[in-house]
Parts: sequence; structure tokens; C-alpha cells
Amino acid sequence: MEQARRGNVDSFNLLVSRWERRVFNYLLRLVANREDALDLSQEVFLKAYQNLGKLEDASRFAPWLYRIAHNEAFSLLRRQRPGAEEGVEPPPATPGPRLLPVETALAVQAALARLSADQREAVVLKIYQGFKFEEMAEILGCPVSTVKSRVYTALDSLKETLAPVGSKL
Amino acid sequence: MNCSSADLKAYALAEMPEDERVETREHLGGCGNCRAELERLRLTQAALLSVRDEDIPRRIAFVSDKVFEPGWWQRLLQSGPRLGFASAAMLSLAILAHPFLTPPPATIPAPAAVDTARMEADISARISTVVVQAMAESEARQGKQARELVTAAEKRLDLERRGDMLAVQQSFEVLGKRMSVMLTASAGLGGAR
Repeated sequence: MEQARRGNVDSFNLLVSRWERRVFNYLLRLVANREDALDLSQEVFLKAYQNLGKLEDASRFAPWLYRIAHNEAFSLLRRQRPGAEEGVEPPPATPGPRLLPVETALAVQAALARLSADQREAVVLKIYQGFKFEEMAEILGCPVSTVKSRVYTALDSLKETLAPVGSKL
Repeated sequence: MNCSSADLKAYALAEMPEDERVETREHLGGCGNCRAELERLRLTQAALLSVRDEDIPRRIAFVSDKVFEPGWWQRLLQSGPRLGFASAAMLSLAILAHPFLTPPPATIPAPAAVDTARMEADISARISTVVVQAMAESEARQGKQARELVTAAEKRLDLERRGDMLAVQQSFEVLGKRMSVMLTASAGLGGAR
């Protein structure tokens, strides 16, 4: 980390290799497009490289990196859908007796798409990325209470459609 | 603990302190509704996590390029503690160097005792000189103007005198011509008789 902060490209590439998959998947779940997620990932790591000197506490690298990713993703979402943060409404999932992996994926995708962008991001950071509420507050730039509220509201909504899906896995 | 105070979401998400976790677990042991609610939350999490992360389509790697590398000044500006230390060092250096670099202040002479009588005499003498000089200049100007006026008047009188003399001369010439004509005529009359 210290060498990367001094501008050592090889050291930074090592950091990238550790984080690129997680950052890519975080962005993919927010923007729902692989090419956009890949372009954004590259932008995120370029900005991280150029601003690594601003990071005073190396232990806060993950929230700092995700904060950049969050800003990049929402900047793209605002450009693509100015004034509308909601995802595209997919067809409602109709789970059968036993779900195939692709059906489960579609049901999850549909349930996540029904959430607001803020709630969806909160779920992605909590469930998929495993951040604590305090870290999420740092990434999202809002109070812990707001983060908690977003996660809880999203879980109440997801529970209605995904608990039956989960029982058929 | 009762059902309303049991934060099952925090329990399911592992966002609960250990002591509260123990209390919640005890409550769950005796409450079927909360157990069912917790089961729904866990199934929801299981459904979400069944969708695995994807592999990144292309690996991201940077090559050493001066265009993208932060410059020395960017690194310096981005480094708050280093910048603060540099500022403090420069300030200390400036404070230490200040006595050696600043020239000694110029000595200001003490004001002499004021002699008001002498000052008044000086002022009066200066005023008198200036007044005399001004009067002399004024008289000179007036004399010059008078001489110019006299000269102009003399010139005008000379011109008038010359004009008069010319007029008299012309009158004499006319008179002479008339007399000669009369003489010629009278001579002609005497010859005819």
C-alpha cells in the first residue's frame, strides 16, 4: 500500500488484482450492465491511483475505494436516467416447485430491481460485500441510522418475494 | 425481551453486540413467531447469495505512464500531514531568519528646539521679497504695455499724416491741371479775337 501511495504501478496493480472482482460485481449489481460495470471499474481504479495520496489511513482503503465506486456508479445512473433512480422493472418472478439456478438469478434480479437505487445499493454493500453499517455510512456519506433504515426497508420488501425462492433452493 | 424489542434483522445480519445476541437467542427459544420471521430473513439472504459474483470479463492493470501518474506537486498537495509539516518548517525558518535579513531601522533625528521668533522673521522676509518681486514684475509688465501702446499710437499718427500729405499733394496736382486747362482755354479765346 505504501509503495502504491508513492506511485509504484506494480504495487498498485497488486491492489487492483485483490479488489477488481469485488468492485466489478458491486458496480454490476448497481448498473446491471457488464460493459458499463467494466468501464466504471477501470475509472474507479484510475481515480484511486491518482488520489491514493489523499488516503491518510491505509486501513480505510476498502470504504474509500467503494466511495469512489459509489460516486462513479451514481454519476452514470444520473446520466443514463436523469431524475429516475429506480431500476428497470423486470417481469414479476413466478417461482415454481423447484428453481433452476437461472430462475433463481432472475427472481433475485427482479426483486432487487424493484428496490430504489439507494436500497439496492445498501443490500449489495451489506449482503454481497459484507460491510458493517459504519463502513457503509462512510461509503455512502450518510448517517448509520439512514443506512440501517435502507437495509431494513429493503429486507422487508425482498422478504416477500425471495423467502419463497430461498425455500426452494 | 419481547417481540417488538427483538431486532431480528440486526441478529440475522450479525450487526448486534454479543450481550444483545444472547438475549435475542433466549427470546427466540420461546417465541415461534420470531423464529418464523428469522427463518424468512435467512431464506431471503440465502436467495440473494445464491446469485454468485461474476468473474471480471477483462483484468484491469495499469502500465507505468507519466500521464496517469500523480505529479510530485499532486503528491505533496494530497499529503495533508506532509504539507502541514512543510508549512510549519517554512514558518519556523522565516521566524529564525527574520532578524538577520531585516535591515536595522533608520535613526530618526530628535526634533530641534523651535525658535518661533526667528521663524516669523524668516517668513516675513520671504513674504516681503516675494511681494517686492511681484510688484517689480507687475510694473515691468505695465511699462511694457504702455510703451507698446505709445508705439502703436505713433505708427497710427504717422500713417494718418502721410495719408493727409498724399491727399494734399493730389489736390495740388488736380488744381494745377485745372489751372493749366483754364490758361489754355483763355489763350485760345484771346487769339480768336
